[in-house]
Amino acid sequence: MKVKNIIKYVFAAFLMLQLSSCNSNTDAEQLFDKTPTERLEVQKSELNDALLASEFGWKAVYFTDNTVLGGYTHLFRFTENGNVEMASDFDDDTAVYKSEYAIQLGSTVSLVFTTKNRIHLLSESDNYPIPALRAKGYLGDFQFLYYGQENGQIIFKANRNNTEIRFVKATAQDWIDLPKNLVTEQNVIGGDSRPLFRLLETNDGTTKHQFDFTFSPVTRFAEANSIETGFSFSYEMGVGYTPTGIIVSPAVEVGGQKLTDFVYNSTDGSFTATGTGGVSAVIKYTDKPLVLTDDYKILLAGQATAAFGFYPDDYTMDATTNSALFYTELERINASLPAGQEISSVQLYFNHSLGNFIYYTFVGRSALFHYVDVVADNTGKKIILKHKSWNGNTTVATPAFLANFDKYLMDPNGLYVKKESFRLVYTNTVYTFASSTSPFRITTWKL
Amino acid sequence: MKLLKYNKIAVLALVSAFSFSCAHEDQPTDSQLDFTQPTKTALDNWIDANYFSPYNINVQYKWNQNTVDNSRFLFPPTVEKVQPALEIVQTIWLKSYATIGGADFVKKIAPREIVLVGGVNLNSVGTRTLGLAEGGQRVTLFETDYINKSNRANVTEFIHTIQHEYIHILNQHKPFDEKSWKAITPAGYTADWYNYDIPESNELGFITSYARSNINEDFAETAAMILIYSKAEYAAFLANIKSATALAALKAKEALVVKYFKDAYDMDFYALRDEAEKNTTSVVNN
Repeated sequence: MKVKNIIKYVFAAFLMLQLSSCNSNTDAEQLFDKTPTERLEVQKSELNDALLASEFGWKAVYFTDNTVLGGYTHLFRFTENGNVEMASDFDDDTAVYKSEYAIQLGSTVSLVFTTKNRIHLLSESDNYPIPALRAKGYLGDFQFLYYGQENGQIIFKANRNNTEIRFVKATAQDWIDLPKNLVTEQNVIGGDSRPLFRLLETNDGTTKHQFDFTFSPVTRFAEANSIETGFSFSYEMGVGYTPTGIIVSPAVEVGGQKLTDFVYNSTDGSFTATGTGGVSAVIKYTDKPLVLTDDYKILLAGQATAAFGFYPDDYTMDATTNSALFYTELERINASLPAGQEISSVQLYFNHSLGNFIYYTFVGRSALFHYVDVVADNTGKKIILKHKSWNGNTTVATPAFLANFDKYLMDPNGLYVKKESFRLVYTNTVYTFASSTSPFRITTWKL
Repeated sequence: MKLLKYNKIAVLALVSAFSFSCAHEDQPTDSQLDFTQPTKTALDNWIDANYFSPYNINVQYKWNQNTVDNSRFLFPPTVEKVQPALEIVQTIWLKSYATIGGADFVKKIAPREIVLVGGVNLNSVGTRTLGLAEGGQRVTLFETDYINKSNRANVTEFIHTIQHEYIHILNQHKPFDEKSWKAITPAGYTADWYNYDIPESNELGFITSYARSNINEDFAETAAMILIYSKAEYAAFLANIKSATALAALKAKEALVVKYFKDAYDMDFYALRDEAEKNTTSVVNN
């Protein structure tokens, strides 16, 4: 082809391009009938209208991270001028406070609590419940991304970690009842008079399973591990308080049903979640350890000398296996001693050359020997300690300042003895002694 | 036809294409964005009158995720705490510099934005970040919720932050004599400064432990600490130093700070210190 022809074709092509451009044909499929900006503006006003629409505001149980922490109930009432009134069950202060909020555009439309209020307590770097959350507070957020509405609820996701938060319409009663969550908190922790052992029992309609249940009040988090041999299963759940019980997240799944709402029974201190078709889950107390061991046998006659010690100024004092009643009674001993005197150890000796005895030592006064007989209860897997004498004198009465404490160890129904699997810093084995009729449990090192 | 003719036709076609195409384009209408300004509160008006208009400094106290580190667990200040905090900054920092450096000094060299954060910025090693200065433009002040105006130690710690950050901003405008500074206590700088007690660092010639992180922090700490000490307190501080080399180092650093203020900004550093002391007392007593 000649150069001239090439130029001709190029011109022709160029002309065609020119003439066919600026075609106003916009047949491309329109997914939306509004521009992105318009849609965002619509979303913004939709969210603001929804927030303002509920007469008594909104309620949200905020589980900031249900793998380590529980839920914190918040009540919000939004007003036209950008103010919000808020109350929460984060701590004892359930009063209503006022602050500001805004609908902001970030990665999407979001609700932001722009000045400090109760919800920010979850996001305070130097207020954290456990060392693992140091500098992270309670992992909370207060910028919630808007994800629409469903069944009258507003769905948000936390900007920080994408946790879902659902705003449910609040009632006038919700505002009145909020302080009751604190009562529930105490019920979940359990009073000093409640039995020591707790379990989660699930029923899928035909089979029952039992799980050892422990609850950490600082994190509002519970763990339940199966106690049945050959059935290894655990539940971990964050706990949120309601006026009548608890809400858990993630749900306890039983027989394919997800149970989240547990109702409190004040008579026996239990919490029950009921599904359909006989499915249920119950958190309840028991007087008996879930698993009975033969650990008591090393204390019986004919065995080697065994000694156990509890020391108030050492790591045995911090053991979580000591019960509240034990601490109370320990305090009572010191309170009834003269100034300058206090208890410094409680030691238990079995099959010693001097016999079987509890050895109490003190700061500022001489030690006491409480000689006992050891009786085995092989069916109940317990030992019973029977009083013989104080310092070898069979007629002298129990010293008044020790009487309350000592009577738990002398429980006529016996003591459960357990070799624990954990250590308290040192390599010594840890043993606990628990009264079988009251929530008294002491933690010792095997000496 | 000759090539020339084609050219003519082509040019004609081009011209007509340009002039007729896209003629039906819609004219822009109003913005689709909602640009209505939020209603200003009494606090917003106070900030406008005391910071924005006189100094061209914007104060952000409402949460804005773009001005804070989202990986930290922080929260915005309580509204009632904002004005007291700003009044402290205004009296002790802005007024002191205005008196000594001239009315326009801070207007010319100032952070253009102050961000207030209510909570503590705790680091994973256990230290607290009290303030940040970014690019000479923005100063972030933490812990504004915990300010107690009647407690001198508390006010001093808060004002320490802004004095410290402002020294950084001054340094970002005109550098100090880094070469001479580096030569004074070259061995004392360390990344794990927080593992040392302050008296221990004092005996090495550093005014605080944080000063040991690097020479920039050392300069800012030295200047800021002298500014928040009263004349008598600083003299007592020096009198307590046991090591002669440490004392000499501290004095050499002080001299460099004084020289920097004179050379770079023609300011009498000691006069500035006295003014700050006077204003601190007036804040605590009122």
